[in-house]
Amino acid sequence: MSQRLQTVLGPLTLENPFINASGTFGYAVEYADFVDVGRLGGVSVKGISLDPRPGNAPPRTVETSAGMLNSIGLANIGIDAFITETMPRLRELGVTVIVNTFATSIEDFVELGRRFNDVEGVAALELNISCPNVHAGGMHFGVSGAAAGEVTAAVRAVTGLPLMVKLSPEAGDICEVARAVEAAGADMITMINTIRGMVIDVDRRRPMLGQKMGGMSGPALKPLAVRMVYEVYQQVSIPIIGMGGIGSLRDALEFFMAGSAAVQVGTANYAEPGISLRLAEELDAWLSERDMTTADLVGLAHDPA
Amino acid sequence: MKYLRTRITEVEYPAPNHALLRFAGDEDIPAEPGEFVMIRGDWGVHPVLPRAFSLVESGSTGSVLVKAIGEGTERLAAMVAGDELVVFGPLGKGYQVDTSERRPLLVAGGVGVAPLLFLARELHAAGRRPLFLYGARTADDLPLSAEIEQVAELVITTENGSVGEQGLITAPLQRLLDEDANAIIYTCGPDGMLHAVADVASRAGVPCQVALEAPMACGMGTCKGCAVMGTDGSYKYVCYDGPVFEAPAIFEAAS
Repeated sequence: MSQRLQTVLGPLTLENPFINASGTFGYAVEYADFVDVGRLGGVSVKGISLDPRPGNAPPRTVETSAGMLNSIGLANIGIDAFITETMPRLRELGVTVIVNTFATSIEDFVELGRRFNDVEGVAALELNISCPNVHAGGMHFGVSGAAAGEVTAAVRAVTGLPLMVKLSPEAGDICEVARAVEAAGADMITMINTIRGMVIDVDRRRPMLGQKMGGMSGPALKPLAVRMVYEVYQQVSIPIIGMGGIGSLRDALEFFMAGSAAVQVGTANYAEPGISLRLAEELDAWLSERDMTTADLVGLAHDPA
Repeated sequence: MKYLRTRITEVEYPAPNHALLRFAGDEDIPAEPGEFVMIRGDWGVHPVLPRAFSLVESGSTGSVLVKAIGEGTERLAAMVAGDELVVFGPLGKGYQVDTSERRPLLVAGGVGVAPLLFLARELHAAGRRPLFLYGARTADDLPLSAEIEQVAELVITTENGSVGEQGLITAPLQRLLDEDANAIIYTCGPDGMLHAVADVASRAGVPCQVALEAPMACGMGTCKGCAVMGTDGSYKYVCYDGPVFEAPAIFEAAS
């Protein structure tokens, strides 16, 4: 892949702008047999909490029109196992590791941030303040500017790692939240996380999922996500990493033109685990034909100033 | 585990609303009975997720049995020779074949026949005498029975009595175990049937392996979508702890 794909996100430079989204690619090591995971722009690993979490009552996933709902509940192995067992393998594989962290209190977010400071091979920290599937905490940090700013500032104070904050589409005003995390010292914004949906099993006359609601992702989410990136781009100066239903080069181009400097690919990984590398190669060819770089694309859909 | 672009080589229609898809790519898909693949057609963004199927055959040609029950399975069942099929696998843990003198009893319900036909063929090839118990609602829900008869003694029950004994498959299973409990049960089918078979096995003190089904996104342990609660109080993941489990890991012992 060529230089034209190189993507500068404040303090973080990626070889290409395609990052695999948290929760859709495990810890990346599981895919190493058939995806060259070291060549991915980056991998945002499955959300890490201080303690291991067993996850929510099943069923946890259901397919929807051009998408899916999940209520996994951030099942994960916890920070200790991740650092001692998973990180060495990720370093070996040369993965650009973005550690997605999740907590239900500011103190725990801070503790997670502090502990990853000294871990070799972590490229950036992503704060998940927008998970809709955990009752205590999670999304409530992401739906108000004040709470989002507070948690961002607290983690910023303890970490020198490039810091990205993942926003929720459920915020009343996502621009307000974006401005708040920028003011609090975030280096980048990731957007958007899933939005809560429901499927009802009409035979059982009950919601399909064990937790009744789940986070909706996939192609059906894309216009909503593109609109939000477009709006936030006009209000912040830090780079935006856009996501929501990307499954083709044209999808990704929409996000760049709306104002994303990089993108994350999520649900499409289930259909094709190597999709991010394919899209990076397609983008390379597309840019080459036009003698452009990724950076040239960012925000092109906005009216000239 | 492999991620392969394959083509459908042949489609059979072994029962109404069922299709047996055979596919082949550049590489073999070596697998054991009970292991599965995630498959998806080249149909754009919807349905977005691949579907999990136990393999019926493996090697240079693989096959899966599709029952059309929703949009994804309807599309798959409508595929024809030459269509592209993306195949990801083999995945999961299959049946642990018992090599003792216990008689293998294979208990299938509906499309649960798929991994058990694979197993019956392997047992037959190894010189064993599997007994295949196959339960269904009606005569229309018994795909692949002719293939089973080539490798195993076949006992059929239907709920409406249209073929075989009328009733549930647990009735002949119970009679067989009453006669001779020196047996091992391998089963796959709807949850209710699995539970009933596990109960019969538990009361008779016969080992039993159950193959489960669950909604799945990734198929390989990363999405944590296919959780089922185990009897030890911890979640098991159908895609990588299973899909085949020792029955007591999933179903409480019958009282």
